[in-house]
Amino acid sequence: MSTQQNGETIVQCTNVCKSYGSFVALKNINLNVRKGEVVCIVGPSGGGKSTFLRTINGLEEIDSGAIVFDGITIPGPSKNVRTIRREAGMVFQNFNLFPHMTVRKNLTLAPMRARGINSDDANRRAERLLNRVGIGNQIDKYPDQLSGGQQQRVAIARALAMEPKVMLFDEPTSALDPEMVKEVLEVVRELAVSGMTMIIVTHEIGFAREISSRMVFMMDGAIVVDASPKTFFEDTPDLRLQTFLSKVL
Amino acid sequence: MISFNTDEIVRNLPELWIGLQYTLVLVFVSLAVGTVIGLAACLGRLLGRGLLSTLCTGYTTIFRGIPETVLMFWLYYCAPLLGGVRPSSMAAALVAMSLYLGAMLSEVFRGGILAVPKGQTEAARSLGIPEVWVWINVILPQAFRIVIPPLIGVAALAVKVSGIASTIGVTELVYQANIIAGQSYRYFELFTAVGLFYFMILFPMSMLAKRYERKLAMRTR
Repeated sequence: MSTQQNGETIVQCTNVCKSYGSFVALKNINLNVRKGEVVCIVGPSGGGKSTFLRTINGLEEIDSGAIVFDGITIPGPSKNVRTIRREAGMVFQNFNLFPHMTVRKNLTLAPMRARGINSDDANRRAERLLNRVGIGNQIDKYPDQLSGGQQQRVAIARALAMEPKVMLFDEPTSALDPEMVKEVLEVVRELAVSGMTMIIVTHEIGFAREISSRMVFMMDGAIVVDASPKTFFEDTPDLRLQTFLSKVL
Repeated sequence: MISFNTDEIVRNLPELWIGLQYTLVLVFVSLAVGTVIGLAACLGRLLGRGLLSTLCTGYTTIFRGIPETVLMFWLYYCAPLLGGVRPSSMAAALVAMSLYLGAMLSEVFRGGILAVPKGQTEAARSLGIPEVWVWINVILPQAFRIVIPPLIGVAALAVKVSGIASTIGVTELVYQANIIAGQSYRYFELFTAVGLFYFMILFPMSMLAKRYERKLAMRTR
């Protein structure tokens, strides 16, 4: 379903390593993501998927290797991380909306503080994005007045309000009640169709298969398989992936 | 059985009122100064590195570990031996209370800030919001809510601790009652009245804290 197969590289990870004490969380991760690609990362829990995703916007520091995001390198000067964070929207498993602010304020804060956009423009942008995720009528509510699915849609809109170049999703549906998973996935799907570059860590294998332009299988802190969805699901020679798929499909 | 003569209280109300005013000055000034010291010490400890952080930790540890009475006596009787200038009893009491409450408040603030879920700062930082605004818009407002009940607790503590200032001669409530009672030997009436005054200040405070705690418990997110 990818729209641009041969876009230029926007995220390039080279030999990314990270350990917590003696536990090796990431082993020599190499991954290139081109503009417009939708890369879904799947694999067993504790395999390093989330940790890896969080290294891309500097929420986790890496021990060695390098990440180049749209021409900006980390490790590098401390301002690099903030520049990357402005251009990489992140959606968390637990939404992490600001509970003391209305939905409107949640969406306008970052554009105003991090991009210097004026309040009127930020508000217009917030309204437009909330309509896009289907909850324009909830703009003046507080997060705890919304359902989980609605909260996660607000979180997606909040990330989009920065007009990021890449969206990072960290298990966006794992904390949701089953009946709310679909409404969030619909929003993610719509983003994919619109051509947004996305890296998605997920347990929704069926969904990943549908929307991804590339599938990555991570296990024990390493990328084991990096392939097109077709190869990944139908024609993988890797036994570990075969075992994993037989369990989840 | 001793007779309880309420006239004795009424007759001395103007004097007790003066005492109460001194008590309130002690409480409000030391809480205000203590808040500034406490915030500085707390931020120094959380954000500072090396010496600054060690100094702030040392400050809270030391002043939380010394009884207020000793601190007040020390500042009033011993500090002049070092510096040569004897502080007024009011000044000594204010400095002692501010330092003590500053240390208590520093811990309260620190607890509040650390209680803000990590996901909140991560979300704010992941949006590229500058660190100053992460603190002003995301961390501190949430920490403030968490901190209100213990803050009321520290304010109540300030009211109680202020009574100790009587021992170095600050003419606050306890001191006034003691002087008046010393003249008329009506300790029973006067200290019952003083106890009641304190209770009338402290009881509403503890009710307020309880009510707020219930409200916080209801809003879990």
